[in-house]
Amino acid sequence: MERARQGDKRAFGQLVDEYKDKIYNYVARMLGDPYEAEDVTQEAFLRAYRSLPRFRGASSFHTWLYRIASNLAIDVMRRRKRGEPTFSLDEPLEGEDGEFEREIPDETFGPEEASTTRETRIAVRRAIMDLPEKLRDVMVLYELQGETYEDIANILDVPLGTVKSRLFNARNRLKEVLEELVEAGEIEVGQ
Amino acid sequence: MTCEQVREELVACWACVDELTFEVVEHLEQCDACRREAVLLRHTRVMLHSSMPPLSAPVNMAERVMSRIDEQAHSAGWLPRAREWFVPRRQPSWARAAAVGTALALAVAGGALWRSQRPDQSAPPSPPAVVADAGIDGSAARTATLDGELDELMLQHQRLEMTQPLADDAGVSLVVYTSR
Ligand SMILES: [Zn+2]
Repeated sequence: MERARQGDKRAFGQLVDEYKDKIYNYVARMLGDPYEAEDVTQEAFLRAYRSLPRFRGASSFHTWLYRIASNLAIDVMRRRKRGEPTFSLDEPLEGEDGEFEREIPDETFGPEEASTTRETRIAVRRAIMDLPEKLRDVMVLYELQGETYEDIANILDVPLGTVKSRLFNARNRLKEVLEELVEAGEIEVGQ
Repeated sequence: MTCEQVREELVACWACVDELTFEVVEHLEQCDACRREAVLLRHTRVMLHSSMPPLSAPVNMAERVMSRIDEQAHSAGWLPRAREWFVPRRQPSWARAAAVGTALALAVAGGALWRSQRPDQSAPPSPPAVVADAGIDGSAARTATLDGELDELMLQHQRLEMTQPLADDAGVSLVVYTSR
């Protein structure tokens, strides 16, 4: 880390290698688009590299990197909402199959997948994408990325209580969506 | 304990069985509505995880980042540290990987097209699994994805060629562009 901070590019390359999966997953889950996530992840590392000399180590490198990625992802989502072009991709962001579907072969899914139909997965992904970005951010960071409340508070620069209440709201919203699907007879939930 | 209080506790831990207090468990035994809520919450969590499984970053992510750093260093006009000029590149050039990857993908796509036009012929030697799959599958969606991937490959390749001459070093990983 220190060598990277002093401008050692190979040391920075090692940091990229160490964190690329984490950041890529985070961005892909935020954006719902693995292709676009690739660009955004690269950009996050580039920005990290450029501002490395200013990095003081007060926060850990990993929360700082997350913070950069989070800002970029939210920026992309806002531009999407305004209909502005985002990074470089001209591919449709959402196909009939849902955003992740075209990227992930079925065998990628874990054993839990067996009990979940494809339609359900797509519906749940849509529900996640429909969450307000602040709720989605916390949900992705805590539930899927496995970050702690403290780190998330650092990454998003909000009080701990805010992290917890956003997580609470996000869970509730997702549950409501699932409930609607159950009531519509689209999925079944055993006791 | 009221239903409302119980539900708050359920949401707070996704209704995790081992984290529920005795009072909540007791309530759940008697209250059908809250029990249903608990089941729903547990399913929500399972579905969240199975809907967004972990992905691996593209294999050449670090190389791409580093080559973009180099590009920007040059275009920004500030001299990269002098010693970098003397350090031989040990990594296989990803420019070369792009070239080989593109050629491979095009060849495989060509093979798939050839196969689809001549269904009676025996299959040609098997190309790498992932891309081969895309071709053999034959569904319109997969073909479109493959086309999109090829277009993107071409673009990436051209972009690189403009900025970086192809290196001669060997050891290129062919899975670079076929793995996603
Ligand atoms: Zn109750």
